[in-house]
Amino acid sequence: MFRQREGSPFRGLAVVALKEAADHMTSMRVHLVMLLILLTALGSVYAAIGQIKETVGEDAFLFLRLFTTAREPLPSFVAFLGFLLPLVAIALGFDSINGEYNRRTLPRVLSQPIYRDALLTGKFVGGLIIIGMCLLVLWLLMTGLGILLLGLPPSGEEVLRGIAYLFAAFAYAGVWLAVALLFSTLFRTPATSALATLTVWLLMTVFWSMLAPLLAGVLAPIDPLDPMTAVHQVEVQQAIARISPNVLYGEMTLGLLHPETRTFGLLFPSQVSQALMGAPLPVSQSLMLIWPQLSSMIAAFLVLFTIAYVSFQRQEIRP
Amino acid sequence: MKFAHAFPASLALAALLTMGPATGFVGPGPAHAQEPPSASDSGPPKGLWLTTPYPMLSAQAGEEVSIDLSLTNEGLPPQRVTIGIDGLPEGWTYEVTGGGRQIGAAMASPDSTRDMTLKITPLADAEKRVYEFEVTATGGSQDIVLPIAVTLTETQPAQLTLEPELPALRGTVRSTFDFQVEIKNDGQEDTVVNLLAEAPSGFEVTFKERYGSNELTSLPLKAGESKNLSVGVKPPESMKAGQYPVQIAASGDGATAQSQLVLDITGRPELALAGPGGRLSGNAVAGQERSFTFTIENRGTAPAKQVEFSSSPPSGWEVAFEPEQIEELPSGETAEVKVKMTPSEKAIAGDYVVSLRANGDGASDNASFRVTVETSTVWGVAGLGVIAAAVAVLGFAISRYGRR
Repeated sequence: MFRQREGSPFRGLAVVALKEAADHMTSMRVHLVMLLILLTALGSVYAAIGQIKETVGEDAFLFLRLFTTAREPLPSFVAFLGFLLPLVAIALGFDSINGEYNRRTLPRVLSQPIYRDALLTGKFVGGLIIIGMCLLVLWLLMTGLGILLLGLPPSGEEVLRGIAYLFAAFAYAGVWLAVALLFSTLFRTPATSALATLTVWLLMTVFWSMLAPLLAGVLAPIDPLDPMTAVHQVEVQQAIARISPNVLYGEMTLGLLHPETRTFGLLFPSQVSQALMGAPLPVSQSLMLIWPQLSSMIAAFLVLFTIAYVSFQRQEIRP
Repeated sequence: MKFAHAFPASLALAALLTMGPATGFVGPGPAHAQEPPSASDSGPPKGLWLTTPYPMLSAQAGEEVSIDLSLTNEGLPPQRVTIGIDGLPEGWTYEVTGGGRQIGAAMASPDSTRDMTLKITPLADAEKRVYEFEVTATGGSQDIVLPIAVTLTETQPAQLTLEPELPALRGTVRSTFDFQVEIKNDGQEDTVVNLLAEAPSGFEVTFKERYGSNELTSLPLKAGESKNLSVGVKPPESMKAGQYPVQIAASGDGATAQSQLVLDITGRPELALAGPGGRLSGNAVAGQERSFTFTIENRGTAPAKQVEFSSSPPSGWEVAFEPEQIEELPSGETAEVKVKMTPSEKAIAGDYVVSLRANGDGASDNASFRVTVETSTVWGVAGLGVIAAAVAVLGFAISRYGRR
């Protein structure tokens, strides 16, 4: 049915990815978004340092507090990233495929010895490169500012946790990039795809936390005679809430940057009897704790990309 | 003897009553002191007296002896009186002091008494017998003579006694043994007593005043005086059960006194429970048994009997000991006990505290063991499985639709 061609489907991937990244780097849109994110991040870190200097006397994980400390009216650095990273990813990806259609440049690119596979993957990797650079710069900036203004170096464990957080944020942004890329392949007009992506983003960020209890109430009603149904409902609600990447990102942040976090779910008194609450977990255990969230994020991103891939491969691309 | 009740100085009165002849009496004059006033039989007696409380006394050769003198003037005008001594044996020295300095004469003011001190130093090699001499007060309206007899005697050696109230006490190595001891100077001389103790090595002996807190090494003790001391003995903690004698001694001026105190130390077992390698923390995986080797040591001085182990684990945990009981653990020995812990399936990752207890006959110890629970890696593998499934879907899509 389909004519199979010879050679690697990823030939030319690096060319496309680097070109895409270079295009992003010079585009006004990305400049604006980056400026926004840099300014807000700087502001929140500066505020956090001020807060830490004023309030925190002694803390084994002072550096991690840089990420999570908020000072009115600014939210904390991680909350900022949770809000702005999807915007960056959407800005990078919402018109990556349909933009080419509209500029009628797609046939021209594909007339080169480049497969469609490489084009789509390259656009995706190019976006990821930009996001990765952005995150790395922010992370180094934070650490540098922390060393400069707090006057102490981060410990090895803090560095490990910071890197793990960096990776978790990267996966989170990757999911949103995959969503944007999917909509840019599905819809032919960039405005539609941008709106669709923003709708999903709003739904997941703002409304999902309201919807999850409603859905859980419908799916697992509470029987007043059986207390276990209440527990069941909470579990269902948590499972539904975890569909949102924002919830997963929040849990990962909590697990990684607050080492004393031991679990995300419901806790029964039998589980906390004689437990030393407040004692930090070792890094390996914190990673084990957030691993389900991270792996489901990676899987989601792979699945979204696969859908985008299948849809793109089956499209008619001639103008 | 009408005058007796009106006589002002009680010392002089005593001298008059008991030692009549020794009282200095007045020479030829109108006011005769030794007899009732001739002129009037009413009102206080008038005259000039030189008195001493003890005109016969004993002293030791070569040692200074002090004699208190009182010059009393009743109803006479002030007069200057020269004090002197007649008949002092050759080689003896004397001095009269009054008001803090050496004097030769005193002023007898009306109706008052001058106190003076006569210090006499007999020759060191003087014969042991009675020596008599006279103290004279001349120059006033009357000449007064006060005969004094000094008997030289042999020096009485100092004598000390040291007597504990309760010479034997019983207790453990932890207790402080407080012995109440009375020290007494039976000699005639004031002395300074050094306190000594001889105890088995490691014992700490302290001398204190009873109800006092200062440690003493020596104390002054007047002739005939006794003092109560508290002798505290602290045995070293590692001392085995048994009886230990402690010799205490007091010495001063050639006299010594000794006494023996006995400490009866009873033994006591003392258990110490220590974690593997001395640490009190370990790792365990939720739902999986893990064995830790604890050591139990008897640091006490008596064997610990019937040492049982128990634990208070978090709910859902299983803790077993092997062996569950040790029949007898001799003093100074250690034994190993295996503690098998199985954290609950539902335990969350992180630290839990399990307290373990060893309970012997009369001794016990407990240890709080901190277990870091690790969750099983099953869910980690499941997460990898999810990713692998997603990759498989992607791979299928590429193989199906790839390379267009």
